[in-house]
Amino acid sequence: MNTTAKTSRMTGMIRGMPSPAAMRRPRVRSRPSGRTTTVALVLYALLLGAGLGLASANWATRGRYPFGGVALGAWTAWPRIGSRDADPYARAIDARTGEVPLALGEGLVLTATQDEAGQRLDPGCRYTISGTTPPARAWTLTAERRHPAPVAADAAPVPRTGFTSTEILRDRNGGFAIALGPTVEPGNWLPVPSGEGALRLVLRLYDTPVAASTGVLEREGVPAITRLGCTP
Amino acid sequence: MTPFGRFLLATLSGLVLAGLVHLTVVLAIPYLSGRDALTRSRSTLSNDTSVLVHPARVGGPVEAAGDWLPPQDPAAAIGVCAYDLDDGPVRVTAETGPLLESLSLHGRGGAYYAVTDQAAVRGTLELVIMTRRQFDEALAEAGEDERNRDVRVVAPGREGYVVVRVLAALPSQQAMANKAAASVSCTIDGPDE
Repeated sequence: MNTTAKTSRMTGMIRGMPSPAAMRRPRVRSRPSGRTTTVALVLYALLLGAGLGLASANWATRGRYPFGGVALGAWTAWPRIGSRDADPYARAIDARTGEVPLALGEGLVLTATQDEAGQRLDPGCRYTISGTTPPARAWTLTAERRHPAPVAADAAPVPRTGFTSTEILRDRNGGFAIALGPTVEPGNWLPVPSGEGALRLVLRLYDTPVAASTGVLEREGVPAITRLGCTP
Repeated sequence: MTPFGRFLLATLSGLVLAGLVHLTVVLAIPYLSGRDALTRSRSTLSNDTSVLVHPARVGGPVEAAGDWLPPQDPAAAIGVCAYDLDDGPVRVTAETGPLLESLSLHGRGGAYYAVTDQAAVRGTLELVIMTRRQFDEALAEAGEDERNRDVRVVAPGREGYVVVRVLAALPSQQAMANKAAASVSCTIDGPDE
């Protein structure tokens, strides 16, 4: 947008000035605007290409991985980013953030930004995350904010940011329910982390056979994220 | 050609150019970035053991560590050690403990190998990373009856890094996980071996 405006201003400038080549050679003087508009158009095309190309590349390589996501309920997994088949966009995103993706043989990461009903996770709401997890030797479930608040070095105790499969309290059948919310709740309470921006849940499955193929992932259950209510 | 037609042609060529620029930039970012894990891990090249880059934060004071990774699992301690196969094959040895531990090998093109502590033999995970040429040489040099028990992994490139993740499943395991993540040895395999 900016580029186009700049170019049109430039075009005006060039058109207003008598071009030096036209002054020297009177023969070309009959069509002076033809040459200057060509120059302006070429310049415009170059600027448009460079501007749009850089801006779109920047936009496409920040934030989430654009391709290869497998949706499972409210969760999304990117099984291919931990392998050599990772697409160029995923590689560029990792290179910009310094991320080291979990390799396929190590485990699999599932993230959720929405609840079961398709609504965005709201930091002011209470949720319950319950059900079963895909088979894995261990898993951790954490809540993240897009812009986390800086943690003071002497903050004690460190607020809980997640649960591991070992420490979680389970019911008689081996199931679990995590209560995510801004206020204290009984059971497995996961406080909404302080900070700014969108809330995201991350389920990391370690040493899991489902990483090998996404078909297995679809058959196995993932925990359901249900909204209970919101504090006004 | 009408002025509008010329303008349309210029816009079209601008868009085609934008597409080319976009693709080139996206493909070039991993090579030009100064913040990617390969570049950041290079400072650990001279170390004989892995360096803790993300301490576990499950309870108690957080251990100081180089923190260039984006937000990671708070329960995982992550150590990194870079390798350069120019000086010879690299032997990676990890003493596994009671905690879940995994080793993954990453090159410029992404992760190419991973193994967890379930594959450990008598509490030790041992890998030898080599280039295709070093692998062929090692095969050629080996005697007929010699049996080599190393797990040899052929790396796609000369440079890369090893990532070790140790899971602290309970707050009391934090210190142990941090220690395990920082104690994986990555040494250049001597020619006599």
